[in-house]
Amino acid sequence: MRSLAQAFSVAKKDLAIELRTKESLNAAGAFAVVILLLFSFAFDPDANATRELGGGLLWLVFAFAGALVFNRSFARELPNECLDTLLSSAISGASLLLGKALANLALLIAVELVSIVVFGIFYNVRWWLRPFELAAVCVLATWGIAIVGAVFGALTVNLRLRELMLPVIIYPLLIPLLIAAIEITNALFSNQPLSAYELLWGRVLAVFDIVFTVLAMALAETILVN
Amino acid sequence: MDARNFTFMFYGFLAAWLIVLLYVISLARRGARLKKELEQVKQLAGAGRSGEQARIEDRIR
Amino acid sequence: MREKLVIGLAVAAGLLLAYNLYHIFLVLPDEALQGAIYRIIFFHVPAAITGMTGYFVALLLSVAYLSFGNLRYDSLAASVVEVSVVFSMVNIVTGSIWARIIWGIWWTWDYRLTSALVCVLIFSGYLMLRRAIDEPTQRARLSAALCVFGCIDVVIVWKSIEWFRTQHPGPVLSIRTGGGHIDPAMERLLYLNFVAILMIAVALVLIRTRQEATAREIDSLRRMANAV
Repeated sequence: MRSLAQAFSVAKKDLAIELRTKESLNAAGAFAVVILLLFSFAFDPDANATRELGGGLLWLVFAFAGALVFNRSFARELPNECLDTLLSSAISGASLLLGKALANLALLIAVELVSIVVFGIFYNVRWWLRPFELAAVCVLATWGIAIVGAVFGALTVNLRLRELMLPVIIYPLLIPLLIAAIEITNALFSNQPLSAYELLWGRVLAVFDIVFTVLAMALAETILVN
Repeated sequence: MDARNFTFMFYGFLAAWLIVLLYVISLARRGARLKKELEQVKQLAGAGRSGEQARIEDRIR
Repeated sequence: MREKLVIGLAVAAGLLLAYNLYHIFLVLPDEALQGAIYRIIFFHVPAAITGMTGYFVALLLSVAYLSFGNLRYDSLAASVVEVSVVFSMVNIVTGSIWARIIWGIWWTWDYRLTSALVCVLIFSGYLMLRRAIDEPTQRARLSAALCVFGCIDVVIVWKSIEWFRTQHPGPVLSIRTGGGHIDPAMERLLYLNFVAILMIAVALVLIRTRQEATAREIDSLRRMANAV
């Protein structure tokens, strides 16, 4: 329980810093809107196909915007040797990773909220029809993205090609999660009842989250030792 | 159809062997480069050490 | 001693390959529906199995490094991943050429092809990460962590993409189907060629590991030279 409290304090610190300047939020939000705009040129946004492609589009936008958030997450600690201070403090590696992931989760969900509203307007998709299921999918899938982003953000923080390496490494890893989120979101946007197929993907989401969270906690000390 | 079938089979085998061959060539080049670097660093370390020994001997004398 | 092992493996692989190629081209008949092109299977499938086996061997080696800290495990893991990526590329390219004749297209988003591509991307990321880090211990630690994540993800990826799409031919090896899908003579040759390709892969891994050891030696000599 103490480690959970530590994780929450790390998350609170990160969110406090971020809310002061809002640089990640603004950048990620603007980036998401720009991508949604660009996609409108890739295919005809009025066609019915949009409803079928909507989930895929949205989760790609979240994944790309997420990369901006993760890059900042550990890079923010580099000036003034804040990272070294954090690592040598009493906070365990697992708590630190968990806290960073929680902060990423909160920031990403904020970006997602804005993106979904803009998406609904641009592409004329009624996303509000199944709010609770949509919220559940968003939280589960975003947690998976957040924890992977935190782990590899920590892993690549000291590399000179950090901004390049991070997307290259995490996107192939996130593929099962993205497929699952996309499939369920598409079903929700078309207001179809969730069949066994979508529930299977729900299980994939849950398994992915559990497996990667456990792995991240187990390997936290390995990844964070400087 | 048959001729094309054979041609592509040939391409397939060629591709498989070409990829492995390219990798072996890159391994060979890396090996040669590493060997050269090892020789250079050995000389450097040897020279450094002998230079240090000479300095120590000077000081003793 | 290691050189003798590599040469021995290479010679044995060469002999076995010569025997196999003779059989592939001159003894086995053309396949009823596909014609001559099916013979690519004798390199396509063994390369795939070699690649996937390599990834899981690398997982074990990475865990060994994280547990015991011996840099040899890291060098071996890196070599195994590198050779596995090469053989996975052979798998994808030969599969693509085969598909061009049989399915009429160079690529399709069938689950096995997609999963194979994802595996290559994950482990190419591993190789890129290694090149981006200069310090050996940090490099070993971080690549071991990535390898563990990557291998476990490979399992999830394979299953997910399988549920997502299927167009690739189903299993034909008897160990999976209980017989009847592939001619026994062809299946025997498939396994024989797998042995040959595995021997080549092991020989390449041994050569690469030796190079990693040389790189470590250079690094430590440099440190010594700088210290003096």
